[in-house]
Amino acid sequence: MTDLDPVIHAQARLRVVAALSALGDGDRITFPRLQELLAMTAGNLSVHLRKLEDAGYVEISKTHRGRTPATLIRLSRRGRLAFEEYTEAIRTLLDPSQLGPTPSKEQS
Amino acid sequence: MEHDDDRPPADAATALQLIRDQRAATVSRLEPDARLIYWPWGVAWLVGFGLFFLRYSPDGRVLVRLPDWLPLTALFALLVAAGAIQAVAGARAYGQVTGDSARRGRWYGWAWALGSVSVYAAVGRVSEHLPHDLAALLWSAAAVGLTGALHLAGGAIWLDRDLFRLGVWISVINVLGVIAGPGWHALVISVAGGAGILIAGTIARLRQRRRS
Repeated sequence: MTDLDPVIHAQARLRVVAALSALGDGDRITFPRLQELLAMTAGNLSVHLRKLEDAGYVEISKTHRGRTPATLIRLSRRGRLAFEEYTEAIRTLLDPSQLGPTPSKEQS
Repeated sequence: MEHDDDRPPADAATALQLIRDQRAATVSRLEPDARLIYWPWGVAWLVGFGLFFLRYSPDGRVLVRLPDWLPLTALFALLVAAGAIQAVAGARAYGQVTGDSARRGRWYGWAWALGSVSVYAAVGRVSEHLPHDLAALLWSAAAVGLTGALHLAGGAIWLDRDLFRLGVWISVINVLGVIAGPGWHALVISVAGGAGILIAGTIARLRQRRRS
């Protein structure tokens, strides 16, 4: 498991990316809700989000919902692609016979 | 976990399992329990239209002596309660997600609100000139017809086959009830409509379970 994308190939970030990939296209989730879904501390989640943002895999936007500031997160197009490639690579590792494009794409 | 969560998963199988579990957990947490969305409406129709049938029975009879105001009040209160339960369950599930699906849900909500107002405005205007039994039939057939159409639309928006099927079912029994006439319409909607919604909710819940 050497040439797997090192940004995603870490337990915590894989969970973050997997959770974000389950959102609908064009949807963003607030930081506290994502934190609750992943059961991570705010500090820990921030660190991993920063790394994912630096790689261009997530988009983080600050906005206001009513009067309270909110941080919204989503997987970028690039992040979604990287996650799909990673999942594909993992599947190939598990079953090398299905090299190339597999018909069984993850349905959302 | 705080310290070593930067480490890669132990092996490929663990990684794949981690992806599956996290996606399934996220999907199931981000959608409300289908029972909370469907069942209150099913109960409202079953009980509300059931009382209506018992008090305002076919051919002007009265099967059970209930106060005149009770059926409509009960139906209205149960429908409001169902709407409130759905709103709370929906807000708890989708509340922290913004974007396309939130907009879709909001616009769909507007379709219900505006559609109801425009249909009821017309029905209210006409029904005051009708005898009581026909007025009641017009009100409930218009309400049920609108509900059926919006379920069909919801099925189209979310490509939800079960929601679409429920819309077909509601529309068909509405037509049958209207043909059967005043009094009978309430019985058909209570039994076939109420049960249909309860069954649709059960099927939707089973699908949710299977996915997670």
